[in-house]
Amino acid sequence: MLSPQRRRQYLELMSERGWDLLLFYGDTWRKDHFRCLVNVSFSGPQALAVLFRTGELRAFVTDPWDLEAVGAVVNANVTLSPQLAAGLNALLSQERSAVVAINGMEQMEARYVRAVRDSANTEPVSATFEIEEIRRVKTAEEIAWVSKAAELADRGYEQFVRVCRPGMTEFELVAEVEAFVKAEGAEDNFMLVASGGTEVTGMKPPTARRFQTGDSVTTELTPQVNGYYAQICRTLVIGEPSEKQLEAYAIFSEAQQAAQDLLRPGVDIADVARVQNDVFRKHGFGEYTGPQYTRVRGHNLGLYPDELPHVLENVHYTVKPGMVVIAHPNTYLPLSGYMVFGDTLLVTQTGCVSLSKTAKKLFQS
Amino acid sequence: MKRGLISWDRAELPAAAFEARLRAIEQLCVRFDVPALAAYSDVGRSNDVRYISNFMPYWNRALTVVPRGEKPILLCALSPRVYPWIKSVTIHETILPSPSLAGQLLKLCTDREWTRIGMVDHAGLPHDLYTELGGGKITVLDIPRDALRPSVTDAEVAMHRHATQLARDLLEAEVTETAIGLPDYQLVGRLERRFRRAGAEDLVVLISDGRTVPLPAAGNAVGPHSSVTVALEYNGHWAKVSRNLDNATVALPPPPDTGDPEAIHRESLSGRYPWEALPAQGDSPNGITAIQVMIRRGESRLYYGDTGVQGPGGWHRL
Repeated sequence: MLSPQRRRQYLELMSERGWDLLLFYGDTWRKDHFRCLVNVSFSGPQALAVLFRTGELRAFVTDPWDLEAVGAVVNANVTLSPQLAAGLNALLSQERSAVVAINGMEQMEARYVRAVRDSANTEPVSATFEIEEIRRVKTAEEIAWVSKAAELADRGYEQFVRVCRPGMTEFELVAEVEAFVKAEGAEDNFMLVASGGTEVTGMKPPTARRFQTGDSVTTELTPQVNGYYAQICRTLVIGEPSEKQLEAYAIFSEAQQAAQDLLRPGVDIADVARVQNDVFRKHGFGEYTGPQYTRVRGHNLGLYPDELPHVLENVHYTVKPGMVVIAHPNTYLPLSGYMVFGDTLLVTQTGCVSLSKTAKKLFQS
Repeated sequence: MKRGLISWDRAELPAAAFEARLRAIEQLCVRFDVPALAAYSDVGRSNDVRYISNFMPYWNRALTVVPRGEKPILLCALSPRVYPWIKSVTIHETILPSPSLAGQLLKLCTDREWTRIGMVDHAGLPHDLYTELGGGKITVLDIPRDALRPSVTDAEVAMHRHATQLARDLLEAEVTETAIGLPDYQLVGRLERRFRRAGAEDLVVLISDGRTVPLPAAGNAVGPHSSVTVALEYNGHWAKVSRNLDNATVALPPPPDTGDPEAIHRESLSGRYPWEALPAQGDSPNGITAIQVMIRRGESRLYYGDTGVQGPGGWHRL
């Protein structure tokens, strides 16, 4: 799929910056740098889209099975180039001295940047920052896809609660949830888990640990629909929650609500982090808001599950309508061990709405 | 994304295999006259570092540095909170928190008084990292990948064989007549459940309805001419297998005089990325190689394929 709105925005950016060609480079990990123009989940190691200032669009793929799907979006103007450098040479030798910008240049293999430089005979510039700024504010169509992903995250978490039981391993639980969201149309799913008590300091991929009564089982569940991710974070206790687990949950709930109450256009994202951390400070747990115990207090969402800006007290960014942000005060507390809680929030003209409909509570299995 | 079971079974992949690799790396350091060798990895490019230390960055980037005659040091941006888990599934004993990989590597070089270092596939580094390391503080020497991994070891072949057998068995159990009529998403869900429960670390499922190449599920119904391709990562080792509901098969590898070279899709599964396309015909580098073949049956395209090892004696199915 190709978004006419995005294409127009990118062409305007090219005109403003004086770029002749804008390359969109995606690899196995960061497909989003490609998919923000040509929204196809390519299979090969890399794919490259080339937008000319005239509006012409071409693509290069490195896997023959990507030719049909990518070709359908770029009107068959796609070339198979298993050695991407050769494709770049062929393209850019016709564009000597063109001003070339690259979205995803930081992740691009150095040999390919060199191929661009040598073929075009000019130093390419990075377009990643500017493109990310455009991507940060979602189009109506993108909001619809994120909303579908959020709805699937809700149902995926229902499945999580339904199947989680003592004796099951972490990876078996992930298998069940993964199977469910894929069967319901998820293209991918980013998911981390943890289980146990106060010894648990963070989430990671699932292990063969078996759940026991009293465990806190945490997850960050992030299904992807048509390229777009939404995330939900919840904690489940196996059996009856302890007083300390309930006390911890109340703090996380209060912190997340503080973020949700504050998030609106014009707010500094640093303050969205600060109000969450202030709740922990108020309860005497301020030291658990730092990097020793937690990573971020949320982040933007879109074609990548961890888009910038990160919600941190030292990151300043003015929130705009149309952004999709997860606020999650996930951290370690000595009361409960690592705990998570967060919703996907869509910034509106006057505030925000939660796209997550899952009950805000400490779940039990 | 990597989100299945990431583990290290010492009975399956003995510590001695890593010790042998480290000894070979020490020789490589001598050969290239460098005090240490480094290798890059990220979520989509983990094969080489997995080979060295069994580390897989389920998120973000990392560098593994092997000082001559020492155990590898991991530089990663992951939180120290997950270091105990990392140590439980790798041979790493030393992990350095590295919000800036280049900064931490340069500091390590300064601390150790290294003025040069070997980098596996130097030009393959992400551009930002390549640039940051190119500031002149140290000399970075390229170590070609085939110097690090000149041939596939018996231990690797055994792991890929296990992955391939698993892929074949589980795929053949689901790609049966009972799948006909299912939405392709549901078939993917069934495969996910089977493979993840069997310990799959990563799984990619592509489906053809007989009219296209295998593609991600799109809500189409599975039909009698559908084919399914799975790429499975089992404890760091990939396999790729295709089966079809028409039960069509071909000889693998296809004879050299096979008519349509575009019908043959050959990929290296022991390269930098999970899979990398190879020329349909001609010489292939030695290594783990998957072959998927398109079979024409009337108007339909059916796919059949498997994973094997390419060696001097040709390709042999695992």
